[in-house]
Amino acid sequence: MADLQTYSHDAGWKNTVLRGLLYLVLILFAAYYLFPLIVMVSTSLKSLDEIREGSLISLPRVVTFDAWNYAWNEACVGVECTGIKIYFWNSVKMAIPAVLISTFLGAINGYALTKWRFKGANIVFALLLFGCFIPFQVVLLPMSQVLGKLGLASSTPGLVMVHVVYGLCFTTLFFRNYYVSIPDELVKAATIDGAGFFTIFWRIILPISTPIIVVSVIWQFTQIWNDFLFGASFASGENAPMTVALNNIVNTTTGVKQYNVDMAAALLTGLPTLLVYVLAGKYFVRGLTAGSVKG
Amino acid sequence: MASLTLDKVRKAFGPVEVLKEINLAIEDGEFLVLVGPSGCGKSTLLNLIAGLESSTDGEIRIGDRVINDVHPKDRNIAMVFQSYALYPNMTVRKNITFGLEIRGVSAQERDKAVADVAKLLQIEALLDRKPSQLSGGQRQRVAMGRALVRDPDIFLFDEPLSNLDAKLRVDMRTEIKKLHQRLGSTIVYVTHDQIEAMTLASRIAVMKDGILQQFDTPQNIYERPNNMFVAGFIGSPSMNFVNATLIDNNGQLAVSIEREGNPITLPLFEAPESYKAYAGKKVVFGIRPEALTHKRTGSDEPGSQYVNFDSKVEVIEPTGADTMTVIEIAGKEIVARVRPDRAPTPGESMTFSADMSQISLFDPDTELRI
Ligand SMILES: Nc1ncnc2c1ncn2[C@@H]1O[C@H](COP(=O)(O)OP(=O)(O)OP(=O)(O)O)[C@@H](O)[C@H]1O
Ligand SMILES: [Mg+2]
Repeated sequence: MADLQTYSHDAGWKNTVLRGLLYLVLILFAAYYLFPLIVMVSTSLKSLDEIREGSLISLPRVVTFDAWNYAWNEACVGVECTGIKIYFWNSVKMAIPAVLISTFLGAINGYALTKWRFKGANIVFALLLFGCFIPFQVVLLPMSQVLGKLGLASSTPGLVMVHVVYGLCFTTLFFRNYYVSIPDELVKAATIDGAGFFTIFWRIILPISTPIIVVSVIWQFTQIWNDFLFGASFASGENAPMTVALNNIVNTTTGVKQYNVDMAAALLTGLPTLLVYVLAGKYFVRGLTAGSVKG
Repeated sequence: MASLTLDKVRKAFGPVEVLKEINLAIEDGEFLVLVGPSGCGKSTLLNLIAGLESSTDGEIRIGDRVINDVHPKDRNIAMVFQSYALYPNMTVRKNITFGLEIRGVSAQERDKAVADVAKLLQIEALLDRKPSQLSGGQRQRVAMGRALVRDPDIFLFDEPLSNLDAKLRVDMRTEIKKLHQRLGSTIVYVTHDQIEAMTLASRIAVMKDGILQQFDTPQNIYERPNNMFVAGFIGSPSMNFVNATLIDNNGQLAVSIEREGNPITLPLFEAPESYKAYAGKKVVFGIRPEALTHKRTGSDEPGSQYVNFDSKVEVIEPTGADTMTVIEIAGKEIVARVRPDRAPTPGESMTFSADMSQISLFDPDTELRI
């Protein structure tokens, strides 16, 4: 008995130390990632004068949203000084259709590939999978030619198409892997009940796909919203997405460098993806592990 | 309700032949049970009848109608799956009426149909629940309900009870039997449980490796199995097999089993004609445990169907109703079914009676019944 107590006392002590170390490491990592964010937020809330006087890491003495307002409404992107807001809406107009279309097509693809195994389904899937590994840069030139031929060059619909095509590989992969774990008998039962391809999809498959839809939406939204290369290559001027506009604001060489405006614009650009994670994040984790546990 | 005929039906997945020339015909209202070990092609056969797979060759008829090229939904069949395959996003009510809705049955009629079926299966209280809120037995009922509501020509059941615990399985078995008697419907039922097969079937089809081994009434399959596989598969504990020789014992055929020192000679009093050709040859002697018991009264009288012999007892396994007694003959373990009050102790020697009217003989090479 006494032995046991000594032992457990010892173990408890070791446990505490290990746990303390663990937290220390975690806190260090968290700080490492949080610090730039803190600097950005605090800088964006300072006036330009204060930035010039104080140090980078000092907190704002007077909190002001002027920089945010300026970034949103007045900042100059190239020669136009209309703020970042029109580009924000460009990004919205690009991201929402692209996310919805690519997710929807991925769902149909995954459903067809798993539940209606047609001849050559495996080859189609292998090719799609291959698409996931093609780097952005490789498709730039051919894509610009295709867009030109379709008359979609430098337009938001063109950008939507690029993102749909590029995202399809990923969304198909997500949905295929999710649907593989759904028993085929469900589809067989519905077939005997008289339902066809699309009825089964709408009435049975899609309603049980929520976790993977969330995964697909978050993934696609993050990819598409944060994309810079396609945006810079295929949509110029007033059609540019927010990421491109942000780059233009930050890289403006004329006049004084307005760090607070740059930071505010960068935060505004990052905000939507953050919002999506906060709203749907818990489903994201659930969805990623959904295939592993049969429910 | 209708008859069902399978005429030389074959199925291959690529180069693999899964079903080889299956011929089956059942009448209207029959309860056909397909049994066989895992992977023998039972589900595949059911899927062919349902139209979920298409046959490589042969003809499938429901009534007089050839249905090979008819879409599953137009075959007027209903199927209960092993996993039940309930639609997880729909309530029980929706699950049951989904097929009717797709077929354009009016909401009013659907409500009536679902009420009738729910009453029959006693699931009225569950109608507004989702499948995830049901127990295994309840899910099984809902799956049955989904099939029953359609009033099809033929019901197809693919191991509907195999996910249930033993007690529930027995209860549901009885209920399915009652249901069949009440509705008089034609049923094809897949199982690998031979007890389920015996209790439910009007006829049993025993399959192995895609080949139909025997297609007959349960009693015939039990008493006159076509081959050693069927004999060993049906019945629990399964039939004992011993290598033996058929000898001519003073003008009477007898089964002779080699044993150290004293061979056992079991005379056959009413040997069928077919045995004659095997006189003097090696055979496999098959006897079910219940035909091999403690010494019976009257077994000493001349001309009795019971033949006695002595053997040492190796192991006993009491089951309550009977005591399974294991003896060793010619290097084989043989199970005899002994009344508990006559049960021996292991190591003891005891007299056993073999009921020679209930034996089977098989050809050792072809394994076919003689
Ligand atoms: N789609 C398919 N492609 C290739 N082979 C298949 C396919 N479906 C089934 N098989 C094979 O056909 C054989 C019969 O399968 P089936 O599912 O009919 O067996 P079963 O008798 O129902 O077995 P169980 O009792 O385990 O359900 C198996 O060997 C299986 O591997
Ligand atoms: Mg099966």
